[in-house]
Amino acid sequence: MRAAVRAGWRIGAAAALRGRAGRPLSQAAGEGGGAESGGGGGSGSREAVERLVREHPVVVFMKGSPAQPLCGFSNAVVQILRLHGVEDYRAHDVLQDPDLRQGIKNYSNWPTIPQVYLNGEFVGGCDILLQMHQNGDLVEELKKLGIRSALLDAEKDQEKK
Amino acid sequence: ATPLSCSASPMRGPLLAAAGGAMPGAGGALARTIRAKLTAALQPTYLEVRDDSSRHGGPPGAETHFGVLVVSGRFAGLPLLQRHRLVHEALRAELAGPLHALQVTARTPEQWQSDPRVPPAPPCLGGSKRDP
Repeated sequence: MRAAVRAGWRIGAAAALRGRAGRPLSQAAGEGGGAESGGGGGSGSREAVERLVREHPVVVFMKGSPAQPLCGFSNAVVQILRLHGVEDYRAHDVLQDPDLRQGIKNYSNWPTIPQVYLNGEFVGGCDILLQMHQNGDLVEELKKLGIRSALLDAEKDQEKK
Repeated sequence: ATPLSCSASPMRGPLLAAAGGAMPGAGGALARTIRAKLTAALQPTYLEVRDDSSRHGGPPGAETHFGVLVVSGRFAGLPLLQRHRLVHEALRAELAGPLHALQVTARTPEQWQSDPRVPPAPPCLGGSKRDP
């Protein structure tokens, strides 16, 4: 991701966290498609999603659970993380919460599930994670989060590209 | 375990309207719409549109789950996320409607030339049966 975009995102996120008490939801930036949840605490509100994505370095919104994925694309994300030895992460089953399911689509402006967040930043769905896995980017991104990919240990004696 | 490695075999599922002209009678209305919109938005040098709906519990021709391979110079210099967003933007109306799942492979012509493999669609695990 371009550094300028990333910097802009961080400034925006930081501002949201410092948000003035009592700022009405209606002043939040408008998004096309899907209404904001009514009231200030709906599970699909921007604030609620923001809290979830910042809860842990690795956060996944999926169908089903890591123990029992209910969608092939969600399962692919779980399998990839498992290959890298990442078993400690936050997974949210959107099938259990329709408000959350719509809320994360609004938040990331991304129409499908699963959704993967690293360090609070949306990185993409199953296709992108698979490519990151295949081209070595995922190992690097995990390293930035202080997570050592299990694949590095597997390749210890090999030349890295 | 789900195999994650790409195979060199062609994309599975009915291959609709490969570059060079549509096969007669190939693809439903949504497939044709997807093809038309991606062509208009991204001027691909190569485009494959694959209806995976039958692999996700729908009847053949259900047109709910698609995979697209888009090869376009428009992707040059763009990270994956941006490339996928361009594809989504072109299909915004469909994604808000009947298009339930969309697998995307987005490559520049140079990348496609050096790597013509496409990841297969992961097997369905029934999740879409719980959709409204």
